[in-house]
Amino acid sequence: MLAQERRHRLREAMASTGIEALVVYGNAWQSDYLRYVADFSILEGHGIAVMSPDGSVELFVDSAVEVERAECEAPGIKVSLAPEIAHAVSARLDRIANHRIAAAPIGFMPRFLLDSGRRFKLEDGTRLVDKLLMVKLPGEIEALRRAAKLADEGYEIFKQAATPGRMQYELIADVEAFFRLRGCADNFMIMGSGGQDVYAMAPPSERQIARGDLVTTELTPAVQGYFAQICRTMVVGTATEAQKRAFGVYREAMEAGIAAVRPGVTAADIARAENDVFRKYGLGDYVTNKYTRVRGHGLGLFTDTKPHILEDVATVIEAGMVMIVHPNTYHPDVGYMVLGDTVLVTESGAEVLCRTPRELFEV
Amino acid sequence: MRRGLIAWSKAELPESVFDSRLQRLRGAMTAEGLDAFVVYTNNTRPAAVSWLTAFVPYWAEGLLVVPRDGDAQLSMAFSNRIVGWGKGVSRVARFEGVPRIGIGAGKYIVERGAKRIGVADLDGLRLDVANDLAETAPDARLVDATALFERVRARADPAEIALAAKAGAIAQRALSRIDPGETQLRAIIAAVESTARLAGAEEVYMAASADLLRDDRFLRVEAAPPIGRSYALRATVAYKGCWVRMTRTIIHDAHGASLSDRAAEFFAAAVAKLPSSDGFKGFKTWLVEGCRLAQPLDPLLGSRIEAPRTLAPGTIVTAQAVIELDRHRIAIAAPVLVGTDGSPSSVLVPPAFGRR
Repeated sequence: MLAQERRHRLREAMASTGIEALVVYGNAWQSDYLRYVADFSILEGHGIAVMSPDGSVELFVDSAVEVERAECEAPGIKVSLAPEIAHAVSARLDRIANHRIAAAPIGFMPRFLLDSGRRFKLEDGTRLVDKLLMVKLPGEIEALRRAAKLADEGYEIFKQAATPGRMQYELIADVEAFFRLRGCADNFMIMGSGGQDVYAMAPPSERQIARGDLVTTELTPAVQGYFAQICRTMVVGTATEAQKRAFGVYREAMEAGIAAVRPGVTAADIARAENDVFRKYGLGDYVTNKYTRVRGHGLGLFTDTKPHILEDVATVIEAGMVMIVHPNTYHPDVGYMVLGDTVLVTESGAEVLCRTPRELFEV
Repeated sequence: MRRGLIAWSKAELPESVFDSRLQRLRGAMTAEGLDAFVVYTNNTRPAAVSWLTAFVPYWAEGLLVVPRDGDAQLSMAFSNRIVGWGKGVSRVARFEGVPRIGIGAGKYIVERGAKRIGVADLDGLRLDVANDLAETAPDARLVDATALFERVRARADPAEIALAAKAGAIAQRALSRIDPGETQLRAIIAAVESTARLAGAEEVYMAASADLLRDDRFLRVEAAPPIGRSYALRATVAYKGCWVRMTRTIIHDAHGASLSDRAAEFFAAAVAKLPSSDGFKGFKTWLVEGCRLAQPLDPLLGSRIEAPRTLAPGTIVTAQAVIELDRHRIAIAAPVLVGTDGSPSSVLVPPAFGRR
């Protein structure tokens, strides 16, 4: 049902711009464009879907195990195994070369498809699809609510797992097992543990959790392909006064950012609200790209979708967008800290979808 | 997404392994007159770069430049905060974090004065990366080096064979955690996946056929399908850049164990004939996958493969098949070393999981 609604909305958007056919790319890291069109999230290899002028969809994948999964999970879609995927898609597009065809995201397409020798011409359809990916349908919001609830539950598991002596990857194993038990097929998470020596979160390592560590994570489970995220920091043991003071800045910044979220503002306005808090405390250097990447980002069929919450991003916020506001960065007194909640943009502001308390947890 | 342990194990992958692999690559480059070799890496196409450097991308993409002489450079789409992590889990002389990897790699090509550049999977290279590369190094001539790299990396070295065996052992141990009395597929999957991750797997993809007689295709389990009289779980496990699949079938039948043993015998006999596919003629479906270039498990041969590839001697592949015996279906999979010099191909980790 949701897949049909998405496809219907997409067809309307294409019709309004005169685009007759669409080509979309996806892989295990970023499958949002592909899922929107083909209702299939790639796990191995990569895939390209072609939506023809008659509305039919053909999915090309280069992994044999993904073919049989797609046949079952995306009924109504023609699925083809295409080890030489660019050539197979090219042959398919030759048959509709006389139509206006857009590609999204065009920069991800194999260069072969944009080669001057092709009979067809691909226009850039990225912005057309981006708009649909950012502003969610009611069914998409419902999936994100469920994902946010799962993120809260997953964080509880993570907290319980973080005991001295355990290695980082063992904590993540516990969380993943919990998600599989709950029928959650996908999750993205990175983490950090330590003190002032930790400048960022990273993939899990063999580093052991030690008493006094700050343990950070960004945990992002998916429901029906929709990712919601939570960021929290805990202390193994009792938090120091410096850690508590530092955490207060992050909480104030996140709450300022969330308070700024409403239709009509820009992504830059939200970032500025967060960063102004750091600047107020003399921590302005730590909101630059030397220490942090973004102050939040969109959520949906990709864990890191548009808009990126940065002071130079002019994207106008609309009701129906879902994003995380997270002033994650390095603090010179205590190390890297994170705090973030998934929020839904409503007509009047922001509805926070995460329920985990905004505390510096002590475990 | 990737969620497992990422660490370069110098005990399992000593520096000499990478020196030897780079030497093989450079020998082939010299023979074909290439000044540099370029290969792309990301979450789903990690295998070429991890084979050459031990680096396994978690989320970001990158380009590796291997000059015919001098240091190799990996340009990753990282902020500088993450570069230290990247250096710690890889073995490459130069590791840089850049916003646009095509520009980073292009600059290094210019710095090296390289003119004839072999690019693995040139046709498939992501458009904006290819454009950045071409614009940054306008005097470089890009030629396809897919076949060259396939030849270089085909035959597994002892380190790769050991890693594949380890990955298989992790999968086998994890699948042995299946409790035949458990009726909830999600609980079974959680137990198996957890075991593999705790054993150090870099990634684990679980798939199941909940009722083999009804549908023997393998799916991820988001819903909670009822388990049939026989069902199967497939664990795809990555360990230090090496990917394998193993499958265990559970049959609720008094003769289940003997059926599994017979299936394993048929499977071993079919595998022994690889690279010939003749041994799989009696199977309902079958598939052989292996790494040609950057995708860890490319489809090579199988009942649904229209253009079969030739398996090179000494290659590691994963074979999987479904066989029908006495009105039962049994799914089976294991990593395989393709035979060399007339020796038969053999399973690296026998797909036997004890009796229930």
